Formats: sequence, C-alpha cells, structure tokens
Amino acid sequence: MVNVVWMQGATDNGCLVSFLNMQQPDVYQAIEKLGVSISYQNTINPTSGKDVIATLEKYIAGEEQLDVLIIEGAIPRGPNGTGMACFIGPKSFAQWISELAPQAHYVLAVGTCAAFGNIPAAEPNPTDATGVQWHKTEMGGFLGKEYRSKAGLPVINISGCPAHPDWVAQTLVAVLLGKNVELDKYNRPKDFFGEEITVHDGCPRNEYYAFKVAAEKFGDKGCLYMNLGCKGPHTHSDCNRRLWNRQSSLTRCGIPCHGCTNPDFPEGSMPFFQRRRLVVEGWKVVPYIIGSGFMKLAKPERLKNE
Amino acid sequence: MAEIDLSPITRIEGHLDFKINVEEGKVTDAKAIGALFRGFEIILKGRDPLDALVITPRICGVCPTSHNDASARALDDALNASIPENGYLMRSILLGVENLMSHAAHTYVLFGPDLANKKYEKHEAYPELARRFAPITGTSYKGAVFARIKLDEIFAIFGGKHPHTTFVPGGAPVRPQLSDITKALSIFMQVQDFLENVTLGCSIERWLENRSLKDVQKWLEEDERHANSDLGLFIRYGPELGLDKLGRGPGNFLSYGVYAQADGKNWLPAGFYDGKHHTLDQSKIEEHIKYSWYTGYEGGRHPMEGITEPYYEEGEKYTWAKCPRYDGKPAEVGPLARMIIDKDPLVLDLAKEYGPCVYTRVLARLHEAVRLAAKIKEWLLEIDPAKPFFGSYERPSNVEGIGLTEAARGALGHWVRIRDGKIDNYQVITPTAWNVSPKDSNDVHGPIEQAVIGTPVEDEDNPIEVQHVIRSYDPCIACTVHVITPRKSYKLKVV
Ligand code: SF4
Ligand code: SF4
Repeated sequence: MVNVVWMQGATDNGCLVSFLNMQQPDVYQAIEKLGVSISYQNTINPTSGKDVIATLEKYIAGEEQLDVLIIEGAIPRGPNGTGMACFIGPKSFAQWISELAPQAHYVLAVGTCAAFGNIPAAEPNPTDATGVQWHKTEMGGFLGKEYRSKAGLPVINISGCPAHPDWVAQTLVAVLLGKNVELDKYNRPKDFFGEEITVHDGCPRNEYYAFKVAAEKFGDKGCLYMNLGCKGPHTHSDCNRRLWNRQSSLTRCGIPCHGCTNPDFPEGSMPFFQRRRLVVEGWKVVPYIIGSGFMKLAKPERLKNE
Repeated sequence: MAEIDLSPITRIEGHLDFKINVEEGKVTDAKAIGALFRGFEIILKGRDPLDALVITPRICGVCPTSHNDASARALDDALNASIPENGYLMRSILLGVENLMSHAAHTYVLFGPDLANKKYEKHEAYPELARRFAPITGTSYKGAVFARIKLDEIFAIFGGKHPHTTFVPGGAPVRPQLSDITKALSIFMQVQDFLENVTLGCSIERWLENRSLKDVQKWLEEDERHANSDLGLFIRYGPELGLDKLGRGPGNFLSYGVYAQADGKNWLPAGFYDGKHHTLDQSKIEEHIKYSWYTGYEGGRHPMEGITEPYYEEGEKYTWAKCPRYDGKPAEVGPLARMIIDKDPLVLDLAKEYGPCVYTRVLARLHEAVRLAAKIKEWLLEIDPAKPFFGSYERPSNVEGIGLTEAARGALGHWVRIRDGKIDNYQVITPTAWNVSPKDSNDVHGPIEQAVIGTPVEDEDNPIEVQHVIRSYDPCIACTVHVITPRKSYKLKVV
C-alpha cells in the first residue's frame, strides 16, 4: 500500500478539481491496481475534525510510513510570521508542512501556487506566501534549498494553474515504479516542462504565426501573439500536445496562453493581453525580423483573420 | 455546556472551521470561521482591467466559471460591450455545465456520503444508502465521478480547459465548428444516461412534468424505477432520517439572476424574497464588518465603495469573513433561492410543506440540476456556427462596472472602478460570503449560523446533524475572499 497525504494550503482547490479528471490511471485503478491509499484529502475525506488530526499526527510521529506528500497551494508565512493566514485545525498550514515534510519519501508540489507561490505570493504578497521549495524563480521557498525528502530528492514541482492531471498522475506512477524522473532547472519533470517543449508547439495557429497573420481582436482566426498577448512561445509546457480534458487547449479556443506554468506567473505575464516582447528569448532578433517580412510576402491567400 | 470544535470540516470545498456550543443536546451558539485569506482585491489594485479576467477565476477552482462570468459582465458593463447571441449562448453553456458539475459533485461526493453515516446504521434503508453513497466505493458515487469528467470534457471543447478558462468582454473568443457542437452533444448524452438511469430512474422530461408534491407522490408510485432511483430513495427516506427538521435558515432568499440572454433577460431571474417577492436593487447590498477583522467604517457599505483593510484585535470580532446583507437582512443564496425567486412551482410547494430545511435545499438543488441539463441541450442546439461569437468593447479610462451572476452555490458579484485606465477598486462578494457570514452590525447571525443554532446533537462525537446543515448550503470557502482566522492564542496584526 502506498500512503498518500494531500495537503491544501493557500489554494483555490483548482488543482484538486483538475486531478479528479485523471483518466490514465483513473482514481479507481490508482486505488485498486497501484495500491494508492489517500489517507487525507480534505475535499473527499470521509471523516472530519479529530480523526483528521489523529491521522496527520500519526505520520508526523513516524508511526506510519508517509510515502507521498502532495502539497497544493502556497504556504503563507504571515501575518507577522505566524503562518495563521491559513490553518487546518490546531496548527497553521506552514506548521503542518514543516512537520510532515521530513517524514515524506517523496514530496510533490502540485500547481503553480505550491511550486512557486503564484497569485497568493503576487505583490504586495499580503500573507507573505511562498512555494514549497521555490519562491518564484528562486530556489528556497518554505523548506529551503537544502531540503531533501527521505528518497533523497528535492520537492518535485508540477506547476500549472491548474496542474494537468496527467502531469501529476504520470509523475506519481513513475515514482511508484521506482523510475528516475528527470527534472528541469525548476525541478519540474522534463517530460512535461522541458526546454524543448512550449505551448506554441502543437498550437493549430502555428501556420498563422509563421505567416504573421495576427488576430486583431478576440474571436479572430489569426495568431494571438502580437495583439492579444499569447505567452505560448515563452511557456514551457505541453498543453497543445497533450490537450486538456482530452479535448482542447486555451489557444485552440481563442484564448491567449497566460503562461500559468511559469515560475513568475502571474506577475511575469501581466498585463495578460499585451505582448511581453517582440521576439522570444533565445531567438536571433535581426534574422527573425527580416524573415518575418519575407513570410508575410509568402502568405497564402487562404490564411485570413475572418 | 460543551464547546465542540468541529475543525477541520471536510467535504466542503476549501477551508472552513466551525465552532458550536451545545447545551442539553442542542446547539445554542455557532460561529462559522473561514480559514484562508489570500487578498485578491489588494493584488488587483493598479492592474490593467482585463487582468481581472484571469486573476479572479483563481479565487475558486470549484466555481471559476462564475468568476469568469462575473468579471466579463463587470467589464461588459464598464467597457460598453456589445455581445452577439452566440456569445451569450457560449457563456451560458460553459457556466451551466460547470454548475451542473458542481451540483453532481455536491450531491454525490460532498453531501451524499453523510447518508451512509453510522448514525443511520439501524435504519432499514442503511444497507442500500451505504451501497450507493459511501465515499469512493458507493456505486452512485463512482458513477458521479465519471459523469463529472464527461462534463469537464464538454466544457473544454468550448473553453479550452477546466478548471480555469478565460471569458472576455464582448462575447466569447471561441469559434466552434458544427463538429464541436455535435461532439459536445454526444458526450452530453453519456451524462444524460447517468442522470436518467441512476439519479432519476426516468427521462429528464418525465421528471420535469412534476409540478407539485402531489405529482411527485404519483411519480413515486408510478414505477419501481422511480422509487428506487437515487432521487426516489432520497425523497422517501429524507424525512425519516429527519432531514426535514434540520437547518431552517432565515427564510430570506436572494438571487442575482443568471444565464443572460440576448434579449436582456436572464433565464433564471434576479430577485429578493422575504415572504414577498421583490425586484433586485443592487444598491441595497452592503457589507458589514462589526464581527470581522476589518476596519475603516461602521455599519454597512456598498461594495463599489468597499474597503478591504484588515485589522485584528482580540475582542468581539471573530472572523475575517465580511458580512453581506440585502436591505439590512441576511439572505440565503443558492439553488433553493434561485428556484424560489423563479417561482418554480415544485420547489415553492416543497418550501411551503417543509420550510427552508436541509431536505428542501437538497431537493431544490437536484431539481435545478435537471432543469439545467434540459436547458444546456437546448442552448447547444441553438448555436449557429456561421454567426459571430464576439462583438466589441471600448477602452474608456474612467468608468465603473457591475457584474452579477450566480455560481452553483449562489449569488456572485464583482464591482470594478477604473481610473486612468487602471483598476482603482475591485470588490468581490462570493456566494459563500452570504451563507457563511458572521453576525452583522445589528448582531443578527448569518444564514448558516442561524440554521445551525437549535440543531439537536445526539452524539457529541458524531455531530452529523450539524454537518448535514452546513453541507446542505454547499459552502465553498476557497470562495471567501476576505477570510483569515487567527486563533485566540495568537496575537496578530495584519497590515
Ligand atoms: S495553481 Fe492555480 S489552479 Fe492550482 S491551486 Fe493555485 S490557483 Fe488553483
Ligand atoms: S496563439 Fe500562441 S501558442 Fe498559438 S501559434 Fe500563436 S503564439 Fe503560438
């Protein structure tokens, strides 16, 4: 049996709601075939109050093995260093995490809130919130740079607002099978967030992008980069390859990517509907601009906004 | 006197702590305490108004689409938007699908498991209730888990993903093709299977023929499948489990109206009911802070002039949830309120017979879900992919906007003031703020507190009666933007 505890801090519950859409494996297969036992998850917990506290204390005391600690939501350290902007029963969320983390074999920070702080940590950061082991683009966060789980790993970050259920499920399965999950520079699984993957990759507007047909307003067919602030090319995640809810993605539905998996989300993406810069980081500016001019000339007739 | 601390309350969406005083087997005082403060309003100040479209849905991952709708409607209003018919339909479909999903999740995942509570072990219906509603293993629970996923798929076809799509002023950014619509309809049929075979035991149309309790009685007797469906079971055993005696709220109901149509009306109308029906006047909405850890004013204040200035002191204040009142009165929001304000004949009959109790509340939610399911299908068929989905909006620099809508669990409002093209003030009043509100300036308890006070508690170690009451409102504390809870033993100053 694999004991999983799912703790929720400064979260909107979205990552849990997203996780419940998990299909391969589905929740029942995870329980029956992989032996996953969710000992505590507030939204689906059969019991309340004292029973919950007793379960958590059992893990803290080391009376039972805590295989996987999943953390959803940022960790508020305020107000005034008390952490009490968020609490569960008698202890602050921060206190629970500091007691549970040393016992856990693996720690997964699910969602941009837990991974990097997200909206709760956005300036002026009213509750002094932070991610589990990162604060935005800096390693450290709540547990500090040095923290390693019992399996010798740092916190595995699965960012996204919300995190895709597949990102969580496949990471979980890999870890349970004892596989080595390769991580990127923000300690996220490379499979989903690697350098070579962007949201731009697999977007059906790519052809419009290539020939520089820019959507002027919402509802236009063109690429959402120039005028509507799409962050797809700046964002390393596989939304347009994997698809959401097995159906679609934001850019497929005319909504510019907001860059919600990025460590500097949301501030780094605001204003959301304005272009961040003309050329994406790493691209060669002069050839790009010259090339764009040629691509415009090369545009086939059939590519129109309307 | 025993003070019982029920914290943490599980199977609600988010963080809620609750304290009750019990004397001689009855609740004499109740305090609903939210346990999370994230300060969204503070974060939004000075941002581009369109940024609210992305930030505010992250207030709640369970009902984000109601925030999508409220933020888009606030900006429609402020930015003088014009919206084509398809734009209205698209928003209604997305919000409707999410609300249906919320109702399913509430019925089966959050509320249902309590019917399998050990208190009812001796009841003749217990084995069947447990077989269907036990958490995770219950057969209906399991069915609902998968029906929810299907609904999310329909959502993603038009919204890109769930949770957290983005709405825009002026209509919808999506351009679905006919094949998207037929696919959505096909997935919808799978959901309909669950609704008709498991929940109702009859077709959607057959259930909607029930317009009074007498009709429902006839429906129960007409066919075994009706009586043995999940709904049939609940209708028959609810009163035997005492659910009609629990959770009497204040009897005032508020709805902002929802599912806006191109003709300027809402499918479900706005209104206030306090024994009489009144038209909604949003200027009568005020937030009090006498018992909330805020400062800056006394009495009530309209959200457009709202101030969110946190301030902790040890004393009579006991929560960081603000306290909204309509015309000075506490009001219940949610499906029961919407159905009463819509003058739905079946729900009016129910409310007359049983009062605003747990039983009525749960049935009103299920009835609304069935009506909504029928409507979503109609909306899907009404889309005309050849026509536009997006109209236009402007960018004035000094304006105000109001966005009123309904989440599954009740009235949601966004108020925005724009100065020099930037957000100067953004205030949100969530549905749960209405239901879970503390005492107001006149010391009148909020709806859930009122409903809990007087509740009999048979077993102090298993106060299931109180949990029934709280959960019947479907509170969503992730929603309660202004909430924080410093404990008595902590000295806090939030600046
Ligand atoms: S990352 Fe986004 S979806 Fe997940 S909990 Fe945070 S706000 Fe919600
Ligand atoms: S809409 Fe965004 S993701 Fe799609 S092609 Fe344009 S820039 Fe790339």
